[in-house]
Amino acid sequence: MTTRRDFLQTLGAAGATLAGLSACGGGHGNGGTGSTQPPIAVPTSPILVIVNIDGGNDWLSMLPPNAGANLGIYQTKRATLQIPGTQQTDLGSGVGLNTDFTGMDQLHALGRVAWITGIGMPNPNLSHFTSIDLWGQGATVPAGNGWLGRFADTAFNPTGDVLRGLTVTADLPIMLKGATRSYVSITGSGGYVYPAYLLSSSPVADAATLEQGWAAALAATGPDPASAAAYQAAAAAGTLFYDAQNNPAFGAGGSLPSRTPAVLYPGDKGYPVTRLNGSALSSTLSSQFKLIAQMIAAGLPTQVFFTRLSGWDTHSNQATDHPNLQRTLGGSIKAFYDDLASITTPSGTAQDRVMILAYSEFGRRVQENSSGTDHGTAGLSFCVGRAVKGGLYGGYPDLANLDANGNMKFTTDFRSLYATVLDRWLGQATSTTDTLLGASYPRLGFL
Amino acid sequence: MAVLTAISAWTVADVQHFARRAGFGLTPEDAATLAGQAPGPAIDAWIDGTALDPAAYQAAAATADVVLEPQISANTTVAGSVDVPAVQPPHPFLVEGADAWRNSLNTAQALTAWRMQFNPYAFQERMALFWHNLFATGWHKVNNAALMLKQYQTFRTLGLARFDDLLVAVSQDPAMALWLDSVLNNAAGTKVANENYAREVMELYSLGADNGYNQTDITQLARALSGWSFTYAEADLKVNPANPSSKYPADARFRVYDGSAIAPDTRLWYGGTATTSPNMHATGTVSYLGQTFDVTTTTGGLAKGENALRSILTSRGANCAQFLARRLLTHFVTATYSATDLADVQAMIQAAGFDLRAVLKTLLKSQYFFDPANRFALAEGPVSWTVRAARMLCPPLPAASSATPPAYPAWRLVTNAATTFDQAGMKLFDPTGPNGWKEHTAWLNSNTMRYRGRLAAALALAETRSFSGATYPLFPTTVTAWFPTAPATPQDVLARLTALLQPAPLPAAVTAEWLAALWPSAFAWDAASQAKARELAFLILCSPAGQLY
Repeated sequence: MTTRRDFLQTLGAAGATLAGLSACGGGHGNGGTGSTQPPIAVPTSPILVIVNIDGGNDWLSMLPPNAGANLGIYQTKRATLQIPGTQQTDLGSGVGLNTDFTGMDQLHALGRVAWITGIGMPNPNLSHFTSIDLWGQGATVPAGNGWLGRFADTAFNPTGDVLRGLTVTADLPIMLKGATRSYVSITGSGGYVYPAYLLSSSPVADAATLEQGWAAALAATGPDPASAAAYQAAAAAGTLFYDAQNNPAFGAGGSLPSRTPAVLYPGDKGYPVTRLNGSALSSTLSSQFKLIAQMIAAGLPTQVFFTRLSGWDTHSNQATDHPNLQRTLGGSIKAFYDDLASITTPSGTAQDRVMILAYSEFGRRVQENSSGTDHGTAGLSFCVGRAVKGGLYGGYPDLANLDANGNMKFTTDFRSLYATVLDRWLGQATSTTDTLLGASYPRLGFL
Repeated sequence: MAVLTAISAWTVADVQHFARRAGFGLTPEDAATLAGQAPGPAIDAWIDGTALDPAAYQAAAATADVVLEPQISANTTVAGSVDVPAVQPPHPFLVEGADAWRNSLNTAQALTAWRMQFNPYAFQERMALFWHNLFATGWHKVNNAALMLKQYQTFRTLGLARFDDLLVAVSQDPAMALWLDSVLNNAAGTKVANENYAREVMELYSLGADNGYNQTDITQLARALSGWSFTYAEADLKVNPANPSSKYPADARFRVYDGSAIAPDTRLWYGGTATTSPNMHATGTVSYLGQTFDVTTTTGGLAKGENALRSILTSRGANCAQFLARRLLTHFVTATYSATDLADVQAMIQAAGFDLRAVLKTLLKSQYFFDPANRFALAEGPVSWTVRAARMLCPPLPAASSATPPAYPAWRLVTNAATTFDQAGMKLFDPTGPNGWKEHTAWLNSNTMRYRGRLAAALALAETRSFSGATYPLFPTTVTAWFPTAPATPQDVLARLTALLQPAPLPAAVTAEWLAALWPSAFAWDAASQAKARELAFLILCSPAGQLY
């Protein structure tokens, strides 16, 4: 269990590290500290970067109540895990921002963060996997494809646009699965020209013959009724890769042009914020953001990216793990935001074009257990970008009015967030958005 | 409906279907031999592992450079550190058992792939892989090679036991206790239980989400299983090879932390020493799945709270059987079973009293399993896919173990670096979450297909890898060994490779295009044609049909 005193001791040079963050990030573009800036207009070529906070985020430790009736309940139910007021930046409305959420106070001060507290659904499910499916599908009953997959079905060119939707994770999240379109998964910056990725050492003989033979198999229909459906699934996955790796957006040798980030990211040598124990933060999310920055700088025509930071299932050891995760998440987002300012594209700077949308499958139980928190319901989403009107959206859940299992009641339907993003960021007509989500949900005012 | 009546005769194609699903495939010659036996006794023997001669396999596993981690360097300043002689690639596997703690994740993956490839009791390895996916436990949190391999060994030894016994064994398994926080589940007095394991043992390991339980059942079971932890002997405390300043147990034993004496084991899971365990176990009764259980006293040799855990199969037998039926069907038979098929298999499982050996025998002998509609209807997972291809293309154990150096795949190099199971979609021993890996078409996306292409090249195109100044084949293969009879035509080459690799039916136009491109002129079985045969094997392996089984 980490106490407040331990925390201060661990940070040691806390003043230097936290102040140093803006020094490393603030020298570029519109990053760094400063007073609130008005949002820019939604860009003509917007890019959406999804951040999956995987495992169920205890956002009560990110944006804790710091006044009013909620505060006392919070302090009672979080006897050991409560975030002291001295470790918070006041956001107003009885809500604080944990200073362990590195860099987010600066982005908030700029007015670039829309916090949607209490986001959820009418029939929440405490299973990670059911809830992940529901958030992916934009549904309250597990069924169908993902909301961004349906967007791709509608918006993407059916015979092109192979790089328009892209995950930098090795899997294909359900959120990205469409009926006719799936997103490509690319986890590295190299090897995207045939046959470079096949063998690590020796040249491939007859490479052209093999490539043509492989393409022929991908284009064919399986002749056997028993295996036809699975054949087509394999062919579709293979074709997606085949088309992506043949894409001229990848340069000579199948590799994206190398790029040196303009700022330090968590995990980089010299990044000023560490874990509680002084060791380096994880680079898991940083490396995904760096790859995306490299892709944008290379001119990939990608409109939607998907990233993930796992480890948030803090049933135990929360006092250590959650601050470390917050530092990694916040620090990576802040670094990415700053880094994007240095990338100029024909449609404007990458910082102007990118909006980050972060979500988790649920929040966690208000009452702590003996060293962490168990699964809960209503969560936190937030959007970061230059076009975002920063502030608190949705209502903060009433901690005196929990459900029968001691979990928070949601205040904003998660599909309101999706609807807002679909028509105000991704440019869908209102009616198209409503069709994609199966109903019309109130839009949020951050765009 | 799923006709679960056993088949009475089978063909070579039936045998190959069975062996792909219930093992890692058979060569055409071995399949023909098995097809000469009556299916009932043959399948019994396959599942029971009888009529096998494991001596050569055991000897190879014990001696054939299945040894030590070259990266471990002696650290004489750290007590317990062991100077380990390095063994050079390509086969630097590690031992299991008492030395299992020396493994890295890659070597653990490598030795397990080696066992899957060569264990004559293939069904044992198939079931272990199945249970590893179901009871998915992740290296990145357990961070203990010995305990991870100990759990995998449990899947081998109890993989065909009664399901309730397996469920209890997993619930008391030290790696699982670390993975899902049982070691931190403290419900003594007014403490609030940690419900991580209680939730997942129902949702992921026995019932399925929302299938017969509610949130109150979760909190009650969490109380019943509170304090379920482990201890270990002082002598089992070893130095972490990856980090000599840290130590961890090389073995451990289940123990309920209820404040009782723990001698002769003197170490608690977190390394502390004591003669009594901390008291983390709830007292009194719990109300669980409609019954009340005394979790304080023990009867019948059960651990405190085990009565509640075991009641899942009695209070919710139909739900549990349905859960198991879904998992077994999706792995072994088809992912597109009907509701009636599911109900039939569920009823069979219940009628068999959750005796997994009986269940698997009935299912894998059934007309339903052998129905042509289920043949090649599943996408194969990448580990199974790689091992099966290695069994078909690489030398079998006698030839491999008698060669100098042994002609085993360089599994250690295969599992390392870029050509990994990880990128192909199954990071063996290290799933992201406790739900393991989704099967069937979830194995297939643009990235996993990319890496299957890479693995196909490694398997078929004789890829080599340099390591420590020497060059090794990743998968040692000899094309002429694939062809007991020299092919006279390109069609002969295709027929033999298809019989070995057993893809789903290939479109005739595709194979015609392949053969025309590879052999545009007169055919002769020379070195050039043998190189083309490798290319044809590559095309089969990375084609859509090659992902199905």
